[in-house]
Formats: sequence, C-alpha cells, structure tokens
Amino acid sequence: MRIPSLLIFITVLVTNISVALAAKPIPADSMGLSKVSVFDTPPVKVYNYKGGQPGEDKVLPRAFLNAPPQIPHAITDFLPITAQNNMCIACHNQPGNWDAKREKGMPTPIPRSHYTDLRNAPDKVTDHLINSRYNCNQCHVPQADASPLVENTFDAKAKR
Amino acid sequence: MRASRRKFLKQSLLATSAAAINLPLGEYASAATADAEAGWRWDKGVCRFCGVGCGIQIATQHGKIVATKADVDAPVNRGLNCIKGYFNGKIPYGKDRLTQPMLRMKNGHFDKKGDFYPVSWEQAFEEMKKQFDRYYSEAGPTAVGFFGSGQQTVQEGYAAVKLFKAGFRSNNIDPNARHCMASAVAGFMQTFGIDEPSGNYDDIEHTDTMVLWGANMAEMHPVLWTRVTDRRLSNPDVRVVNLTTISNMSSGIADLEIVFKPQTDLAIMNFIAREIVKRDAVNWDFVNKHCVFATGPTDIGYGMRGSDKYDNPAEKDTNAKELVMTLNKDEAIAQGKAAGEKVEQKNRAKPDNHWLITLEDFKQGVEPYTLDFVAELAKGDPDESLEDFKAKLTKLADLYIEKSRKVVSFWTMGFNQHQRGTWVNEQAYMVHLLLGKQATPGNGAFSLTGQPSACGTAREVGVFSHRLPADMVVNNPEHRAHSEALWKLPPKTLNPKVGSHFTKMLRDLEDGQMKWAWVQVCNPFQDTANANHWIHAAREKDNFIVVSDVYPGISTKVADLILPSAIIFEKWGAYGNAERRTQMWREQIPAPGQARTDLWQIIEFSKRFKLKDLWKEQPIPGLKEAGFEDGKLPDVLGASPYSREASLYEVLFASPDNKKFLWPDAVSKGHENQTASLLGDHWFPEKALFEEYAQFGRGHGHDLADFDMYFAEGVRGLKWPVVNGKETAWRFNEEYDPYVKKGSGFDFYGKAFKSLPSGNLAGITNTEKTSFPGKAKIFFRPYAAPVEQPDNDYNLWLCTGRVLEHWHSGTMTRRVRELHFAMPAALIYMHPEDAKSRGLKRQSIAWVESRRGKIRAVVETEGRNRPPKGLIYVPWFDESVFINKVTLDATCPISKQTDFKKCAVKIYKA
Repeated sequence: MRIPSLLIFITVLVTNISVALAAKPIPADSMGLSKVSVFDTPPVKVYNYKGGQPGEDKVLPRAFLNAPPQIPHAITDFLPITAQNNMCIACHNQPGNWDAKREKGMPTPIPRSHYTDLRNAPDKVTDHLINSRYNCNQCHVPQADASPLVENTFDAKAKR
Repeated sequence: MRASRRKFLKQSLLATSAAAINLPLGEYASAATADAEAGWRWDKGVCRFCGVGCGIQIATQHGKIVATKADVDAPVNRGLNCIKGYFNGKIPYGKDRLTQPMLRMKNGHFDKKGDFYPVSWEQAFEEMKKQFDRYYSEAGPTAVGFFGSGQQTVQEGYAAVKLFKAGFRSNNIDPNARHCMASAVAGFMQTFGIDEPSGNYDDIEHTDTMVLWGANMAEMHPVLWTRVTDRRLSNPDVRVVNLTTISNMSSGIADLEIVFKPQTDLAIMNFIAREIVKRDAVNWDFVNKHCVFATGPTDIGYGMRGSDKYDNPAEKDTNAKELVMTLNKDEAIAQGKAAGEKVEQKNRAKPDNHWLITLEDFKQGVEPYTLDFVAELAKGDPDESLEDFKAKLTKLADLYIEKSRKVVSFWTMGFNQHQRGTWVNEQAYMVHLLLGKQATPGNGAFSLTGQPSACGTAREVGVFSHRLPADMVVNNPEHRAHSEALWKLPPKTLNPKVGSHFTKMLRDLEDGQMKWAWVQVCNPFQDTANANHWIHAAREKDNFIVVSDVYPGISTKVADLILPSAIIFEKWGAYGNAERRTQMWREQIPAPGQARTDLWQIIEFSKRFKLKDLWKEQPIPGLKEAGFEDGKLPDVLGASPYSREASLYEVLFASPDNKKFLWPDAVSKGHENQTASLLGDHWFPEKALFEEYAQFGRGHGHDLADFDMYFAEGVRGLKWPVVNGKETAWRFNEEYDPYVKKGSGFDFYGKAFKSLPSGNLAGITNTEKTSFPGKAKIFFRPYAAPVEQPDNDYNLWLCTGRVLEHWHSGTMTRRVRELHFAMPAALIYMHPEDAKSRGLKRQSIAWVESRRGKIRAVVETEGRNRPPKGLIYVPWFDESVFINKVTLDATCPISKQTDFKKCAVKIYKA
C-alpha cells in the first residue's frame, strides 16, 4: 500500500521539477476546453444521446455513493414531463419492488427516499411518490456519445 | 465475498424491517451505508453553483472528497439537489487544474506576446506589483481595476473591496453579478430604499399563485422548482403561470404559459396595473398608508458607449441609437408620443433621476395599456391567435387581482438582463404594492438571484464600483465618513467618484483608460457581451491582466499572468443566497500543487504595498465633489495614524483588532486553514474579516450573527437581519421584522431616495423635496422598444442563458463526465420552420451572426426549449460556442446590467 503511493509521490515530484527546469512554454491556445485561439471558431460536433428502448441497455454505474443514477435508455419520446403526464413514473413507480431482486431488462424501482416527504414528514415512508420528486430529469439525465473533455480524477471509494 | 454476502443479508433484513415497521428513512439509509462510509468525515457545506443556496453534506477521506449528498436538515432543499448540485464533489478533480502561477514570457522576462511559463508565487507577485506600480504611478487609481464575482466568498469580496477602495483608493471594482443582479438592486433601492427581498423561500409553501416572469426555474433554480412543483401538484387550487419568450421546461408544470415578444413584459405589467385600477382593486388602505407614486425620465439611452470610435462598420447603426432613437408605433402609443418622432436621449447621464407624481398621473400613465393594445404588441408566438392571447392576459390579471388569492412573482434574468431592467423590476413591485400583496407569507414580488453569493457577497459587502458595505455608497459623504471610521482610515482616504462598472471596465481596457486588472472567481472575457472587442483589447493593448482561476478558460487564455486558485471546498467561506440566508463552511480538502485561496492572494499581495505610495495625492480625472479639489484625491498621509512605511497588510488586514481572532480556533474541529497557515501570524482571517465586516450592518437592518453561530450544530444558515439570535423571515412586516416601527403594520424603512421633488409624467414641476420615510414607491414606467430589433438582414431574435446541467461558463461542470455527457455542447434552439426556411434542419451545423460577431453550432428543433418562430436560444456555457461574441452590450442605463436576452441575428448553413 505504502510503496505505490510513495512511488507516485516521487514520480510527481520528479515530473514537477523537470517541468520547472525545462520550463517548456505553454501556449495559451493549447489551454482550456476549446484548444484553439480565442479568436478562432472551434470545430463543431453533432452528439446523440445513447440508449435504445427501455430495458435494452445496461444500468449505468453510479458516480459515487447514492449519486443519482443516469438514464441508460432514450427518453426523447417521454418528454416533456408535464403536470398531466410523466412517463418515467409509468414504469419506475414500483414501491412493491424495493427489495425484490433486480431482473435484467426490468425498470429500476424509484427508491424509498422518493416516497418520503423530507420537508413535512421526514420520518415516514409513504406509499406514493412525493411531488417534490416529480421532475425526474432535474436529477436524472441521459448520456450522449461524447468523450470527456478532460479526465477527472475523482475517486469514489464506494459506488452503490 | 463473505463480507459482501453478509452486507447483502444485513441490508435485506433492514429493508424488510423498515418496510414492516416503517423505519424512518434516515435511519434506514445510515444503517445501510455505514460500512461504505467507514473512515469518512462528513461536514456541512453549501452548493457551489446557483443562487438557491442548497445545503450539502461533504464526505472526505485522506484529503479527498469521496461523496456529497443533499443536506436533509437544510431548510432550502431538504435532502434534494439538482443534477449539478449532486456533482459538487467532482468539480475539484479535473486533470487540468491550475496548480502553479504562469506568466507570459520571452527570454526569461515578462512579454505580452510570449507564451506562458511556470513561475513561483514570489516571481508572480513581483511582476504583478511591478506592472501595478508602472501604471498606477503614471495614471493613478483609475488605471487599475478588479473583476469580482457573485461567487466570491463574503470574506474574499470584503478583502478585495477593502484593498481597492481603502488601499488603492480605486472604485474600479465590480462583480460579474453586475451582469446578473444589478437591475434587481436598482429596483430595490429605488422602490424600498434598501436592497434584497422582503420574503423568503417559504413563500412557496404559503402562496396560492406563482407567476414566473422571465425565470425558467425548472432549469435555473431547479431545487426551488421542486418546491413549486410540490406546492402545485399537492394543492389543486394553486396556479402557476410561466411568462416567457420561449416555451421551456417550466411550462411543464405551469397552468398558464404566456409567450410574449422580447421586452413587452413592460407593457404586460402596465396592462395588469391598468386592470387593477379599472376594476377598483387597489388596496387603498395599504397604498395610502405605505406608498407614494413616482416616475422618471424615458430618454435615458441604452447603456452603450455613445461614441463610434471603437465600432466596427456593422455596429454603427445600432450604436447610433444610443444618442437618438426614432419611436416606433407601439413605443409612441405607450409613451403618449408621435410615431416616427426622433427622441434625443437627453437623460443618459442621469437615468436614475425620479420624482413624485400623483395617483391621477399614474392612472394617466397606464391608460394606453388596454388589452387590445398590449395583446397586439406583446403576443410572442405568431402561431397563437390574438383571442387566445387576450384570454391569457385577462386570466393573468384575474389571478393577481382575485382578492383572497396570495401571489408570488418570481423573476431572474428575463427581467434583470433587460434594457429597462430597473423599470421592469419596479413594475413587479408596482403590481404587488397596488394590491397590498407584499411582505406577507405567500405574498410578494420576489427577485431570485443567479449566483451563490450575488446577495451575500456582491450586494451585501458592496463589491460594486459605487457601493460600500451594508447598502452604503461611495458618493455619499456620510457613508464614506462612516466607512473611514470603521476602517480606521484618515478622512478623505475614500474616493468619492463612482468607478467603472463591469462592462465599462472592459471598455476602459479597450480605450486605454485601464491598464492593470485583476480577475477573481469569474470569467469576464467569456461572460461579457460583444466579447470580440474585449479579447482583442486584452491581447493587443498596453495593459497587464491577472486572472486567478481554478481551471483554464477564455479569461486565463487572454491573461498575462495566471494565478492558480483553491476551489470552494479547499477554503473557508461564507455565501449568502436569495432569501438573505448566510451560510458558512469549513475547509474540507487541501488545494492541489501551488493553488492558493483567493483570500490569501489578496492579503499576501497587500504585504507588498506601503502607504506612502498610495495615500499621497492622487489624480482622479473627472472627480468633482464637495470638499475635494477637482480631479484629485488629497494626500492623507499627514492625517494618518500609521507610519508612511506601514504596509497595507498591517493597516487593512492584520490589524491589532483582527489579530485577536486566533488560529487555530475551536470552531475548526480539526479542519485545516490554508489562508491562515500560509499568512502566518496566527490569526484567523476568515473569522476576523467577517466580524469586522459585520460591524457595518449590525444595528442598521443588515445584522449578521456571530461567526461561530453559523457553525453551530443544527444551524443551516440564518436569514438576516439576525437580531438577538433570531433570524427574520419577512422583512418590513411588523409581525416578523424587529426593525419595523411598532403599530405601523408595515414599514418600508430603507433610507435611500426617500426625499424627492415632485412633478408629472413629463418631468419635475416642483423642485422642493418631500420626505416620505417608511414608504415604498409605486413607479409608473412605460414600454420602451428594444434598441436593436430583427430587420430584413438580421432577421431573428437571439436570446441567451443557462442550462440545467452546467454552471455559468462551464469551467467546472464541463470537467465532470456525467454533466458533460448530459449536455456536451451548446445548441441553437429554434423553430423547425425557421430552420426549414433557411435550408436547415435538426442537427444541421449553422452560423449565427450578428453585427458584432459569429459562432457555429448545431441546430436543435425538438429540444427542451421550443422558441416561437422568429427567435432562437443559444446557451452561453460552452466556450467553443462563444455566443457572447454575438450578443449586444446594451445595458439598462440605470443598473448598467447588460441585456443578454435580445439582439438581432441571422442564421445560415455552415
């Protein structure tokens, strides 16, 4: 455990020193997310959201403990969510299945937390989805066929 | 294997029993996650992003954030975050964090045309000081400036204000909140004489009606939207109205969607006021007791330069209207003038002037705003019938007027980023005051804020070119004297001349008035309209630009010196949200590499200045003020109790009083403090500066609690004024606000602009001033046409704004995979028929071009924003779709806030 971290430490140290010594120039145009001069117009890419019909795609890994899961399937046909119509709920509202074994291709049940009115009655798990949780896509989002612009080194010790 | 099997069984057992005995969720969750969280330290924090101010809990282990969650105990958000808020924990960890200072150099020396090279902090400060001295000794305090932020902590904003206003004697300090909140501030000051809302977020749970005016809360204030949604769906009689120029996500929950033409909100407001009057629905008891009527000049320009010296040829026609505007038919009717009249904009220098009028004048003002006139003018969707639109406007007026109905009006950038932003803010108060539906639970015009501490820092601390802490201003001699006393400065140290506002500072860089600028916690070269001018000015003019940032972005790319900053969780701080709630947090993790807190950067830099170089006589071109010699600030060294050789560090920051606040402190509970450790001297800068700052507001209606109280168990921020340990839920209301005069019921006790001359709609007729303490103003403000409108060439409206998934210029959120994948690029949202008629369709790549610049992006005709024909929407988060090269830098002339919501563009296939 200790040796690898020490190695990393030394490597980082050496890298830093060598950067400082060699003092390589860093052109402004190589920085940031667009990687071009601020006076230029970067190329444009067309993205599409991933996923097919619900049930076809694998559940996406959580970003960290209790992070809101991303949506693995296409949702274009299910939007917008309106007061009259929420098609997410039609499949995912399954309080009876909270503790059932997950079956492949079946919708993930909306969890207990969403059946608890944390503002008015935080001690009670109810049998209905709480209205403050009604706008599913304020927390759950689909994922496009993009690549990360920059690597992110966040390390979730636990994912669930 | 065994462990996980055991855990599974344990969880299953818990789940079963939870269901069986209805175990509270919190206990269930904590038991279920106990194993995973072993060795984690949880502590309360505040979301880094918007002005809602959600509480979060942050888990750290071995100096890293491992998780965050929404704070169940935070009254703002009760266990909920939006998608951005859930990813607070990942924003420090983009691989290209700035971790060392970088200076443009050639041959080992600073060179504006050079590439960046890493330097030490010592070298960085040395060059920064050298360049400062060069420009400051030549041209004085007006040659230097500071771009601040509604995302700075309270302490950072306070330290920056003190360094610039007291130390450098420069009022050129202004926040990006100028782009976001300035019209709200001007509206508050002119209406109530004091800044910030009377109500709080609990208004949502108390009201029957919520009207959104240019506030797409579903995306921009998502957690407040969960509260609005909960209120609406749980109560069948509650109504939600969405007034907008684009059909958007908030329309999903709204009962009534009203799509109006840009800037006609001014006319719709006057229609409502006219209905209130005509239907005899004025709450006379309230109005007679607590209100006066007022108006101001209309020929105030559009906040543009009024000179074509720096214009490119295409810009000249729009910019010429700054001086003379030809009235169109609607504007003429709305202002009782003749169509085609050329109106010289004579009141550009005094746009905020205003005077008292009579009720009869007010009635005369709103009289032209009939249903027929306003519907024809304001209907924003060409595909909607006029009759349907009229019915909607009538319904809107009905909802406001219905006597037993409580109403809250919410607005954000639609009102604030507006060429008449101050007026339209005032009109919201006009409607609520006429009805007496203000400052009670569930009733009120409620200005929402955009940034996490636009209120707490930019506004309350006064990080503006005209402000001092606690609503004081630099051009008021009493306010200066009070500040000089609290800051222990010799009299006349403070500069009485209002400095340059945010956009003006960029103009100053272009015309060479400003030579040295420091940017902290914002991205001015991406976030300011008409950006081509400013990026050229930064790179090609004789100046030195320092940018402190966490990640490289547009502003760092045009900088001369880059300083690596600590991100929110790597420092101590305080933010204040839109409901006057001040919240604090501890440092959670160390900053990477050589990254340093912004507060340390300010204070450390101050060590390099001696009083003798700053407090001598200084030139201030254009200064004309009673008690001052024209054009200069006096030498105050003689009257100073300090040595001429004293450093700004000793005088402004590490004063004997401040050094009484010792670091370490019990409140730290084992958390580190980089700022304190690096400064040495064993003092606690965040606490000392907060307590020093709090002196400005205590006893003056802005009372903050003691520093330690914000860290107390169970406290999740406190709404000021906090008097005798008790926060204030509704201001100006006797039942809740200790500052209200007993027996008055309501008391609008703000002191600014409470003595005025009187006149009529045309102007002042009696210069003798009348005082009206404790009263609020009901303004008449007319419709004014936007300065640039679509024509045959530039034939579409462009509206810009945010998206749910990204924060501001995207420098943090676009480095989070989940958020980037959810919204990888800014799109051009447009009507499918507008696309078709230009040979475009969904996913075509197109150019969007204005008189000022152009960008290229992908067309979206089916997304979450569905503009009517004639209007497109492009978000500004994406530096590759640099939409502020296209936007117009017209501002509200009173607030100086830019209108990012309307200019004319053309669009064609790329």
